[in-house]
Amino acid sequence: MSLQFLLDGLIAGSMIGLGAIGVTLTYSILRFSNFAHGDFMAWGAYAALAVVGALGGSTPIAPLSFGWPLLAAMVVAMGLTALLALVLDALLFGRLRARGQSIIVVMASFGASMALRSLLEFMFTSSPTYFSRAIQMATPIGFGVRITADQVALLILTLALVTGMHLFMQRSQRGREMRAYSQNPALARVVGIDVAKVIRATWIIGAALACAAGVMVGVLVQIRPLMGLDLLLPIFAAAILGGIGSVPGAVLGGLIIGLSEAAAVQFVGAEWRAAVAFVILMAVLLVRPMGLYGVAER
Amino acid sequence: MSILQVNALVAGYEPGLSIVKGASIHAAEAEIVVILGPNGAGKSSLIKAIAGLVPITGGQVLLDGRDMTAVPAHLKIRQGLAFVPQTENIFPLMTVEENLRVAGGVLPRADVAPRIEEMFTAFPDLARQRALMAGSLSGGQRQMLAVARALIVRPRVLVLDEPSAGLSPKLVEQVFSRLSEIRQAGLTIVLVEQNARAALAIGDRAYVLVEGREAHEGPAKTLWDDPIIAELYLGHRKEAS
Repeated sequence: MSLQFLLDGLIAGSMIGLGAIGVTLTYSILRFSNFAHGDFMAWGAYAALAVVGALGGSTPIAPLSFGWPLLAAMVVAMGLTALLALVLDALLFGRLRARGQSIIVVMASFGASMALRSLLEFMFTSSPTYFSRAIQMATPIGFGVRITADQVALLILTLALVTGMHLFMQRSQRGREMRAYSQNPALARVVGIDVAKVIRATWIIGAALACAAGVMVGVLVQIRPLMGLDLLLPIFAAAILGGIGSVPGAVLGGLIIGLSEAAAVQFVGAEWRAAVAFVILMAVLLVRPMGLYGVAER
Repeated sequence: MSILQVNALVAGYEPGLSIVKGASIHAAEAEIVVILGPNGAGKSSLIKAIAGLVPITGGQVLLDGRDMTAVPAHLKIRQGLAFVPQTENIFPLMTVEENLRVAGGVLPRADVAPRIEEMFTAFPDLARQRALMAGSLSGGQRQMLAVARALIVRPRVLVLDEPSAGLSPKLVEQVFSRLSEIRQAGLTIVLVEQNARAALAIGDRAYVLVEGREAHEGPAKTLWDDPIIAELYLGHRKEAS
């Protein structure tokens, strides 16, 4: 039996986990489920594509399918996606949040999601596109598993981003402020935490990581306006499974969802892919409703 | 001279529904001022309004002569006014040290570590628990952490909402004894309390709040012996001696 599904699941789970970090932070700090988060991934990928185009294309660094221009474009695209999130918050979410009805903000995020997707289709058409059309040869690494250089690079990038994010949340003052605000917004204000800065940091981090995940999907699969929508449910499942508010939980949740989806494709059939992931999600939540890393309300 | 001056304060959570209806109080340097009153008198709302957590629609809050009425809650601590809420006054999913560190964010970076150690020296019980999650502390330890968290910025005025709530009589004694010690260092303390006897024992002056405004003011030591005040607002009848 080939263990290739483990590697496929790990890679899919990495991208889901990166996306889930933004969802879990938005939910725990801004107190709403942002259904436009998947579209930040798509916008990030298209922004990187546009920047790569503006830079004159990306000469690959062998054995990768991409080169420094794509990495530089990803950094610029992370900034642009963060800017998009900040503009959306200033024009839409922030105004509705101030009225104190989170369900209206959730519905607004549905609307924003559709608008963002339609704009991408208008600007880039709905046809898939690619950062590179070069075919990569996968290298066997044992047990019937084969891996490409791009996959190795993106796994390393995911590990670096998740580690950096974890250190930021645990060691930096802004990270501590974000955690404090998610636990008790009123007390956070009393101890001197500037709520506006916490909200800005939440959008910037969430959108930037969504962009990174979108670029990874673009490198490994393809870029489509619907790519964010396709990943939205697994991302939410990962955030809930990991425990709302927990960055390590979101990543672990992403890996579990990715691996279970890949296992479903291997052992049951591709049509059961989403169903199996959600059965696992429900089973975990029945045993531990607060998620893997979540803490019960006191 | 008063360091904290509240003039005819009107405040409430909803527009047009004031809970605080023209309350005026003041506190001098190194003074402990106790605010008492029946349930629903607006005691907690008054100090939350002073802290910036309840919208103020009229009146003034002055700290050392500066108008703080419209200053947002997160900036009041920088001006020297610290507030300890009655419940949920710590971050339970952060360690004891992280609770102090996050509150130290308003300090210059170089001052944070020495101030944390200063707090651990002042509260040795917390020092032993520094790496523990604050949510695992006992009620008394939580209250001490909340006070230490407020003191780390060396405020001029410390405002506390029922620090004895939910504590055993022994712990209440410890908390109030610690507040007396803190006052010795020159800090002004404004205290809302249901436990009138314990609060008046350490207080200098007291206000009795009724229906959103002060109905009586006097020295804390004599307030407990005032039969009318005791019967009307503190829930006990003082027997004539």
